[in-house]
Amino acid sequence: MATYTRTNAWNNAGTFANPDLLWYAKGVGAMQKRALDDLSSWWFFGAMHGEYVKESGFPGWGSLPQPPSTPTTPQPSTSVWNKYWDQCQHQSWYFLPWHRGYLLALEAQIRAAVVSLGGPANWALPYWDYFGPGTQYQIPPAFTAATLPDGSHNPLYVKARYGPQNNGNIYIPIPPVNQNCMSNDLFTGTDHNTPPPGFGGPKTGFSHSGSTSGNLENNPHNLVHVYVGGTAPGGATYGLMSDPGIAALDPIFYLHHCNIDRMWATWNNSGKTNPTDAKWLNGPAAQGQREFVMPIPGNNAWVYTPEQMDSLSKVDYTYDSLPALAPAGNVLVQRLTLLGAPAAAARVKEGASVTPDQNEELLGANVGALPIKGTGAVTTVKLAADVRRKVSASLAGASETAPPDRVFLHLENVRGTHDALALNVYINLPANSNPSDHPELLAGTVGLFGLRRASRKDGEHGGDGLSFVLEVSKIIDTLHLQNALDTDSLQVTIVPHQAVPEQAEVTVGRVGIYRLGQ
Amino acid sequence: MTNSAREFARVRYPVLLLSAVAWILLLANPGGMVGHAHFHAMHSGVMPLGARFPMLLAMNPPAALAAGWLLMLVAMMAPVLIPHVRHIRQRSFRRRRARSTALFVAGYGAIWMAVGAVALAIELAVKLFAAQSYLPAAGVLLLASVWQFSPIKQRCLNRCHANTELAAFGSAADLDALRFGLRHGIWCAASCWALMLFPMLLPQGHVVAMVAVALLIFSERLERPMPPSWRWRGLGSLTRIAIAQARIRLDARTRACAVSSGT
Repeated sequence: MATYTRTNAWNNAGTFANPDLLWYAKGVGAMQKRALDDLSSWWFFGAMHGEYVKESGFPGWGSLPQPPSTPTTPQPSTSVWNKYWDQCQHQSWYFLPWHRGYLLALEAQIRAAVVSLGGPANWALPYWDYFGPGTQYQIPPAFTAATLPDGSHNPLYVKARYGPQNNGNIYIPIPPVNQNCMSNDLFTGTDHNTPPPGFGGPKTGFSHSGSTSGNLENNPHNLVHVYVGGTAPGGATYGLMSDPGIAALDPIFYLHHCNIDRMWATWNNSGKTNPTDAKWLNGPAAQGQREFVMPIPGNNAWVYTPEQMDSLSKVDYTYDSLPALAPAGNVLVQRLTLLGAPAAAARVKEGASVTPDQNEELLGANVGALPIKGTGAVTTVKLAADVRRKVSASLAGASETAPPDRVFLHLENVRGTHDALALNVYINLPANSNPSDHPELLAGTVGLFGLRRASRKDGEHGGDGLSFVLEVSKIIDTLHLQNALDTDSLQVTIVPHQAVPEQAEVTVGRVGIYRLGQ
Repeated sequence: MTNSAREFARVRYPVLLLSAVAWILLLANPGGMVGHAHFHAMHSGVMPLGARFPMLLAMNPPAALAAGWLLMLVAMMAPVLIPHVRHIRQRSFRRRRARSTALFVAGYGAIWMAVGAVALAIELAVKLFAAQSYLPAAGVLLLASVWQFSPIKQRCLNRCHANTELAAFGSAADLDALRFGLRHGIWCAASCWALMLFPMLLPQGHVVAMVAVALLIFSERLERPMPPSWRWRGLGSLTRIAIAQARIRLDARTRACAVSSGT
């Protein structure tokens, strides 16, 4: 039996009648009273995720709306700064294990504060299950109350939290936020049930700001960040949760990440395995890069590796609910059936071995960078005729020994300064139609969490911006069956969840379409 | 092996092989490279300058100098191009991969060959006036060290990590691949020019110095981009990898011993 159990924040209606939330608020309040350079302060933990302490103007920490009153001094020494700050792992297979350790360290600090205030010694962080029944898609009310039950200031309340409609109503729209990633088979890599780069993210080194998010990281993680953060009235700034450099200043951050961590545990519980590659197990420090290190109570440095994080039992905590996953459908069986190869589908269902895909190649691309302004943008993706014919032939002759090609839409080198956007990407959306009437044409939805950092030329990613991969095989199958794939081009429409503010710069460097097959 | 790992291997191994062959050629014939053919009488002080210069040129014809410089580039720089070649292949139509890679390499090479013309001229001048002196090499080493720790160096290194978008079709694709190579060449040369010059000016032991410089260049490219500032940039990355790997192997051996002894 684990010592610590994380429970649902929506217990007792998500109010301060839930003791876990009340103690969390008191613990956060205690940590917020500490100085920026105190290793156990709320601000220090926020900066470990990411920071803009020295930046002037938004999102510099000195210009954030209050509450909370975010300090920019006293700054720690350079060695402490370089050791601890700006560590969060994104667009990487280290995303999940790094954040698990981060949660444990924050939880230990809060627990120490809770105990010192007379609270329970087994206090644990609650999680926000936005996929839960009833009203759980909404932020627990304890986070929007101005005061605690005793009338004092509520440390869980922050001003810069604007929500998906930019009006302060904080909820998670479901869909487009979904749990589709839970049917993935592979932590890193791709197969017919796992779009690239895999459930947990692509193989990388230390990746504070990378390129392509893993499937769990993209949806729900990134989308929840940008929907909760939202854009401020006027459009010049956005909410704390929308940007990794200010996100961990908002106390809802840790409840969101507990839910992401719970999803990882649930995925593992269903028999899906984590990487066994030594580069994952030993972490980036084994490759000569930064180590994962957290301050724990007593100002001790705790260094950890992904191997130490790869199961809940190793770290002595659990969740009150780790539901069994509903059996996922076999995507290849579904596609073979749809493509008119029921016999092959039946053989795959009975366990016939499937020839693995060997080659990925470009199928088509648009011309020129695509600025995303106002209510969206449309571009024409020209297809290479010879590669398109390969795809058509593959779909027409699909079997288990010659599986149908898989097709992916890439948004490459997405750059900009406004993270608080979710982009809905459609293929061949009819002109003047309402996008929401065509879910069958939706390639996917991506959140621009981390856009600003990934776009900085002297940032960790060299200014290449973010990239996104969306599997569109089923849309292409449908076009093939409608005899509409014999075409020179596809239309790609990008519809932001809210109009892009005028002062925001968002550009897609290139829209590419790729095939993966024999 | 994942598709992405397979594609990485398709680029990595041929490029490393190419670099290895170049190193073997350099190590096998260190005296035959880059302006190193010289005649004893040239630095004996008895031959007038007017006679020494034509003799130096005769013994180091421009074509041979260019070939030697190219060999050095392939040996030292090919490994750092792997991520970019991979990027180009990934973002190009299959039928254009070789062509786009060639254009990228041509652009990159053109910049370095232009830099080489200046570097070789400096080398020849040094051979002419101070063939046996360590002073020019020491001066360049000082300059290289200041450059190495400067914010400008970091800015160049950051730009060396960039993998930008590329047009897919027609002449625009050719132009983008070439432009990518030229741009990368400029930032790479701006980052490494002084380091590359140092071994060339050494009267002796310049192949050893080249190996050291190549390791430094490879090591500093392993670091992620970071804000420009004055800081130490040395072999930290390679050293950290070596220490971390040694520690992991030691731990594994200790664990294995513990298991086999039943403790």
